[in-house]
Amino acid sequence: MTDSSRIPDTPLFDRAGSIRGYKLNKMAMALGDPANRDAFRENEEAFLDRFGLSAEEKAAVMSRDWHEMVRLGGNLFFILKISAVDPVPITQIGAAQAGMDHAEFLAQRLGKV
Amino acid sequence: MATIIGGLGTSHVPSIGVALDRGLRDTPDWKPFFDGYEVGKEWMREAKPDVAVVIFNDHGNSFFLDRVPTFAVGVAETYKPVDEGWGPRAIAPFEGAVDLSWHLVDKLVERHFDPLVCREIDVDHGLQVPMELFFGRPEAWPVKVVPIWVNTIQYPIPTPQRCWDMGRVLRETIESFPGDERVVILGTGGLSHQLQGARAGFINREADMAWLDGIANDPEHYRNMTREDYVEQFGSEGAELIMWLVMRGAMDPKVKLIHKHYHAPASMTGAGMVVLENEG
Ligand SMILES: [Fe+2]
Repeated sequence: MTDSSRIPDTPLFDRAGSIRGYKLNKMAMALGDPANRDAFRENEEAFLDRFGLSAEEKAAVMSRDWHEMVRLGGNLFFILKISAVDPVPITQIGAAQAGMDHAEFLAQRLGKV
Repeated sequence: MATIIGGLGTSHVPSIGVALDRGLRDTPDWKPFFDGYEVGKEWMREAKPDVAVVIFNDHGNSFFLDRVPTFAVGVAETYKPVDEGWGPRAIAPFEGAVDLSWHLVDKLVERHFDPLVCREIDVDHGLQVPMELFFGRPEAWPVKVVPIWVNTIQYPIPTPQRCWDMGRVLRETIESFPGDERVVILGTGGLSHQLQGARAGFINREADMAWLDGIANDPEHYRNMTREDYVEQFGSEGAELIMWLVMRGAMDPKVKLIHKHYHAPASMTGAGMVVLENEG
């Protein structure tokens, strides 16, 4: 159950993802603490540095590139906390995963008109 | 002995809690969803349980990736709602059914399940939302809880068969408990949804509808499916439906499907519930 390629376009958060995304997810997990949310708001880059994020990871977080964050091993349940600090609807994060425009995603995937 | 008075399956989508927090219950997006739960709430009022066993997964709130228990059981006296990043929610803390929890831990280990035993831990929307859906927003919850966490985030997640077997032990636990508690079991999660990868936004209404009947009347089918089958049919996050099997495994082979409800999408998820009673 580690070969996530069997089901197309469906990555599973397995050993590789967990290892790859560990620091990124640890940073995001920390946003469960209000003091850390303040620190993130105050100086985002300094906050990311505290967790030893790579330049690539930092760029993904700071540009709110949800697709890239997942590619780098970010797990949605953790990185979602970034959207608690800087509000983005989850459907927009979903659209970014699907590589679709938000309205198109709502209509085609969720059947919303 | 304590008695199992019902088995419920329900979604635990966090947006449901958010909708309640923001007073969106009666908006066009949410009204059909919440209306469908009214019969479940009414069933609960009449059933008057003393304890709710809630099977759910943590979503990166109480457990980080530094330690990932496949199964965990709470034995705390109180469980606070955890701050998931949006600040604390205005809902009452949950009182633990401590004696039943420890009895469950004893039974599980005796039956060769070896859960993490949690003496001090907060609970996320996985437990909060099902409680709100069936009990509303009381000042104090009318039941004590036994939380069971199942890892559905980091692979390998447990097999459907293992979840089912845990349900068998849960039943044995309740039926051998020296008390007269009336116990409801809530299997939570799902239904179909996928939040990550290019298939994000995947909802499978047909499979969801079949699930709601099948979990009652053809559980063997779902018990025998692989984790891959779950991911394929219900989406990568929808695979958390395996947690309903803990509930179903604790019930009689034949059950009565008292209520069912389905609505999609709730946020990005196929959402719904069943209320099951043993034929007795
Ligand atoms: Fe969940």
